[in-house]
Amino acid sequence: MTRNICGITSAVPFGTYGSCSSPNGVETPGYYQVLPTGEDSDSYDFSRMQKMSKLRGRVKLCVTNNTRPDRWSGYALMFALAFALSNAAQICAESLLLRGATVHTVSGETIAPGDVLIRNGKIAAVGKTIKTNDATVVSLTGQHLYPGLIAATSSLGLTEINAVRASQDTSEVGEYTPDVQAWIAVNPDSELIPVARANGIAHALTVPLGASVSGQSGLIALDGWTTEQMTIKHPAALHLFWPSMVLEQTARGQSRGSSNTKSLDDQAKDRVRKLKEIDDFFTEAESYAKAQRASKKENRQSSISIPAWEAMLPFLQGQIPLVIHANEVRQIKAAVNWAVGRNYRIILAGGRDAWMVASLLAEHKVPVIYEAMFDLPARDIEPYDVHFKTPGLLQKAGVTVIFSQGAGATPATQVRNLPYAAAQAAAFGLPADEALKGITLYPARILQVADRLGSIETGKDATLFAADGDILDIRSRVTRIWIGGREVSLQSRHTRLFEKYKGRPSSKPSAPAIGGQ
Amino acid sequence: MLAKATFVLKGVVAFLVLVLNGRGADLLPPGHRPIPPGVHALVGGKVHVRPGLVVDAATIVIRDGLIEAVGKEVKPPDEARVWDLKGFTVYAGFIDAYLTCASVPPASQERLDRDLTAGATGFFGVSGSERDPGQPGPGNEIAQITPERRVGTTYTPDAKILDSLRQVGFTAGNVVPERGILRGTSALIAFSDANPNDALIKADVFQHAVFAADSGARAAYPASLMGILAVLRQTFFDAEHYAREHADHEQRPEGRVRPAFNPSLQALKPVLEKRTSLVVEPRSALMVDRAAHLIRELGLNAIFVSSGQEWRRPQLAKAAGGAFVVPLNFPELSKLPEDDDWNGVTLDQLRVWDWAAENPAVLRKQHIEIALTTYGLSDRKSFRKNLRSALDRGLSEEDALAALTVVPARLCGVDKQAGTIEPGKLANLTVVAGSNYFNPENKVDAVWIDGRIYRVEHEKLKQVASTGKASVNPSKEADDKTKETESKASDERANKETTRRDLLKNRVARSPQHKRNPLAEPRGILIRDATIWTCGPAQRIEKGSLLIVDGKISKVSDTPISEEAGLPAGSLLVIDGRGKHVTPGIIDAHSHAMILGGVNESTLPSTAMVRVSDVVNSETDNIYRQLAGGVTAANLLHGSANPIGGQNCLIKLKEGAAPADLKIPGAPSGIKFALGENVKQSNSGERNTTRFPQTRMGVRTFFANRFIAAKQYLQEWDKFKANGGRRPRRDLELEALGEILEGKRWIHCHSYRQDEILMFLRLMEDFGVKVGTLQHVLEGYKVADEIAKHGAGASAFSDWWGYKFEVYDAIPYAGSLMRDRGVLVSFNSDDADLARRLYLEAAKAVKYGNTSEEEALKFVTLNPAKQLRIQKRIGSLEAGKDADFVIWSQSPLDSGTVCLETWIEGKKYFDRALDAERSADREKEWNALLAKAKKVLDAAGPSDKSDARAQSAFFEHALEYRYDYENRHCDHE
Repeated sequence: MTRNICGITSAVPFGTYGSCSSPNGVETPGYYQVLPTGEDSDSYDFSRMQKMSKLRGRVKLCVTNNTRPDRWSGYALMFALAFALSNAAQICAESLLLRGATVHTVSGETIAPGDVLIRNGKIAAVGKTIKTNDATVVSLTGQHLYPGLIAATSSLGLTEINAVRASQDTSEVGEYTPDVQAWIAVNPDSELIPVARANGIAHALTVPLGASVSGQSGLIALDGWTTEQMTIKHPAALHLFWPSMVLEQTARGQSRGSSNTKSLDDQAKDRVRKLKEIDDFFTEAESYAKAQRASKKENRQSSISIPAWEAMLPFLQGQIPLVIHANEVRQIKAAVNWAVGRNYRIILAGGRDAWMVASLLAEHKVPVIYEAMFDLPARDIEPYDVHFKTPGLLQKAGVTVIFSQGAGATPATQVRNLPYAAAQAAAFGLPADEALKGITLYPARILQVADRLGSIETGKDATLFAADGDILDIRSRVTRIWIGGREVSLQSRHTRLFEKYKGRPSSKPSAPAIGGQ
Repeated sequence: MLAKATFVLKGVVAFLVLVLNGRGADLLPPGHRPIPPGVHALVGGKVHVRPGLVVDAATIVIRDGLIEAVGKEVKPPDEARVWDLKGFTVYAGFIDAYLTCASVPPASQERLDRDLTAGATGFFGVSGSERDPGQPGPGNEIAQITPERRVGTTYTPDAKILDSLRQVGFTAGNVVPERGILRGTSALIAFSDANPNDALIKADVFQHAVFAADSGARAAYPASLMGILAVLRQTFFDAEHYAREHADHEQRPEGRVRPAFNPSLQALKPVLEKRTSLVVEPRSALMVDRAAHLIRELGLNAIFVSSGQEWRRPQLAKAAGGAFVVPLNFPELSKLPEDDDWNGVTLDQLRVWDWAAENPAVLRKQHIEIALTTYGLSDRKSFRKNLRSALDRGLSEEDALAALTVVPARLCGVDKQAGTIEPGKLANLTVVAGSNYFNPENKVDAVWIDGRIYRVEHEKLKQVASTGKASVNPSKEADDKTKETESKASDERANKETTRRDLLKNRVARSPQHKRNPLAEPRGILIRDATIWTCGPAQRIEKGSLLIVDGKISKVSDTPISEEAGLPAGSLLVIDGRGKHVTPGIIDAHSHAMILGGVNESTLPSTAMVRVSDVVNSETDNIYRQLAGGVTAANLLHGSANPIGGQNCLIKLKEGAAPADLKIPGAPSGIKFALGENVKQSNSGERNTTRFPQTRMGVRTFFANRFIAAKQYLQEWDKFKANGGRRPRRDLELEALGEILEGKRWIHCHSYRQDEILMFLRLMEDFGVKVGTLQHVLEGYKVADEIAKHGAGASAFSDWWGYKFEVYDAIPYAGSLMRDRGVLVSFNSDDADLARRLYLEAAKAVKYGNTSEEEALKFVTLNPAKQLRIQKRIGSLEAGKDADFVIWSQSPLDSGTVCLETWIEGKKYFDRALDAERSADREKEWNALLAKAKKVLDAAGPSDKSDARAQSAFFEHALEYRYDYENRHCDHE
């Protein structure tokens, strides 16, 4: 196991692509400049991991590189380090003092202006003015500092182009596939990742889509050489897609009395059967867990290990939550009541109709990953702004609201717009600080990584970014981002193409001017 | 042998009338049952001579199939068989004006893989047989156009159907052809047991058109509603041309090529000459309006088949100007498995249910002539029950009777033979046991058709008979007990039925037009002290004033404007704009959100003849939702499934206005073109790989081909206009393309990759055409100079990318980059949700590429107006322009902003302060309707037979609202 990779930090942003006029600028610098993280990647034992990182912190080895790195030398360096230090933990130990920004700590007061001290990839101090001698000072006067944003459900890394089937790894077949793991299929070189990162998104939960129990998600950092390095936590949650409870009446636009629609009663029966099936599945999983416990107690080797049932254990043992994906009110009610009956800790994702059952969700402390912000109203009696208002209503009722654009191929291209879902909720009644928490601290909490992520607090990961304005305001631009203490590039396919074509010399008329009109 | 025998037996009845006339040739050979005498006297009944004239205890004399006399004083002739009709009521035999019998061979729906069908090559640019929609043998090139079919030549009686019609009192019906769009002619048939030759009263009664698209994966043209209208239009023009050409050929057959033979076009001649009416079944309230427009355009006589939903906009039905055939197929409730399931039922579904029975009365209130039909009922027995509901909801009995007798007789052109009980008319009568047909308890006892009685057997009678048989030896007590329970049960049934009827009598639903009028229409408006984003030369004015008079902007100023403004006192609304921002109305340059039916006519590579203006949806909730996002105008575009799509339509979002009133008068015409993956069907699956073009190479070839064809077409017409001679055929596809060449129609071209953009601009330049806008144009930033030089506008997404291969290089900086290089840029939605947030999309031009805020806002206001060539009227707040504006809580580019009010032409269409009330209002109505529905369901006895078709109709979403819950884009079917 190699976990000893050092981050290489550039203290200054890399040069812009500049005035290159060649349309063939293939080796676009900046693209490879993002150097790898130093995260432990294959453990979900946090306490152990934290101990390890403390240990590692003492073995300091930091390579700083203030010049533009060459891609190949970067690789060579990597290999060299990996080889030489194969058993020693290494992380970047450079100290950075981010000075003079408006610090949106999220968990506490906003400090304006304030300082943040980064050491060993962690936030070492946050305050009005921090004095230190050994840190590189980064002046952020006039800027706003935010903790890295977390996309609470997404398909980032599992998809590239929606219409190109070969690039899709978002959804597996089968009804019960808890042993499907999303994080292992993340393409670290997906062009979608830097695009999302450029707007402050530092982490994303990659969700396996599918029917019923679709599998397990992992929390990834939007930076890293390999899936292992990118993965912050795995499994992070188990996912259950609640079966549709909508009666398929005559399909919209179909001819009257279409024969392939089942009768309402038959559909109702199917519905009950489907739910029973899910319930049975969890009962069976519990039996399996019990059997495993018993054999462990009696210290005998369990005869067989069944992957699907094994995959249910982290949830059943309380280590990870169950995310139930449901939008329609019948689904939500059924899901919550089912979970309450089984004493399960759940998170609701989707949540389109959550406004109808806000008190139920509050009563059972079910947080909602709200993905329906920009859905059209689902019924003609719903107000035009029903989904804009929902987060505010939920919050008022005492429900924790987290924002997401949802999983799926097309949403994956739009993860960068995550803050604007929160912003829309703020425009329609949710307090702005709650909106911000919904894309930082709250997702960190429900995914049980709030000890590391989600706010700017001493001891947490130095994952934060600077923007030239309120991050909920579309006009604001992210200017710098650090993930685990390393500054990461804001360049992407989009900036590269922008720079390239901005630099295109004005073309001479290459065709005769048009005649006629 | 057997078949022959049957025929002879049928003949027995048929020859009845003739035999009694004493024609020896008609005397049946021995062995047959002799024909009963043909003279009858129906004595003592209550006789409805005609609607409004009732004679009690009258006598009707029938002789040889005709009515000889009717009246109180009439004496039965000695030779008459006398029928005592005391306690019975007699009506003129009912006529069903729109009867389907499924007795007509269906038009072929299968596409034929042959080269030499009537369609063959050259059909709207279709290559080969793959998409050839033709049919075998001479006929129309479109399989669904079969006006040459005649029910009169194919009608085959079906005893079961005739029986079911006679049971509810019908004696004759106009049998209409089924399947297709232009279906053929109907025939009026008597429901006697006579052979079809004798039963037929009149052939070729009407020509029939139905707005029914052939949909599905293998659909042929036309597959969309707008396609249907285009086809009808073209077909009638073709029929005119056909008549001209053949007349010309008949006169001078020498020296000219013979015109093609086309039975289909030939068959339309009587319709064109208004000798035959066209019966149109538009299938939705708005399409009734559209059908009427088409009829006027083509100059035809028409009768409409009611959609059942004219209550949505009764004035449109009235304006249609024709009679209506009205089905009584009301949707029916069904019990839902769980109470929560009612949450899935929309207000409109409940409204449709609650209004249904009132629709006939609504039509009559508009003084529209109506004829009733059993059409659409899966069980004709529910006709009387539903008719009763219609009467309970305001239809008068006299009107109902007229709608069953004199009106259908007149419409069918047989009013001299049928419709009333008067001497000389056909002895077609409907006899009811009891005093009133309109009381469903009074059973139809018999109908008389052509002087012969057909007794009606009812199920209940059968039941009694069978009970009688079953109880051969029952004790008397047991029998009594059974009777007692039976009568108890029937009492209970009757009680429940009364409750149900009482519940249904009162309408709870409101008109969908309720509160859809403008919320305010002051003569003048003065906004003070607001931040005004003029999007004009005045830029942004802090603390500015805006004066509006009579729907137009009168003055925009950075100094206070006095209140007088030359308006009469009290007619000026003063708005305190402190802290608020005012912008021009948002214009969406790419929308599909207010289109009825499909947004694509995707069957052919060129559908330039198809018009979005035929399918503008004035009812969709998208209008209100988008008003709430500040949108005041939208460019409704055809989809992008083919290189040459349909014609677009520019509308204003005047909530509540009828489709025709949404259109912006005088707005330049346009047309949708498309390039790339959609038109070459890259993402349409393995089955769609044979239509030309399949590559970007072929896309160019295709355009070049069509434009050359259009050029030739124009030349042909020019020649004709200059020199006379034979009039060329009017071709709506080439006509539209010709308008592009003439600079009268602007191209809005869906495009992505830089190579195809350049190809398209260059090709159009070769034809001397300036492109209106490039839509999406996601790689436009790579060829911004070329676009700017050409002068095409770029209407893009702000930041969509990556959803298909050709948009992998799309970047959010594109808008700013293109603008910096001199391209006129707008941001559009192409999406019913995104349209609600275009003001925030504009902010992305600030974020990506540093466009200034004022310029960014123009991306969704002035720039789209310029691109659509309507900047003289809208797009900025300048004196003289339409007063289309929005009031915002903050800067329109601030994510925290909320649209407070939206005004169009000085009228307020959205007010956030009133929205809560509006929603509460609608929810209240929904709750009330739901409560009613549940009560009605409770009142339904177990014996109530449910009609599966009527129940599934309940769940159907009206066409007007069908797409309100999904986002439709370019590639949507």
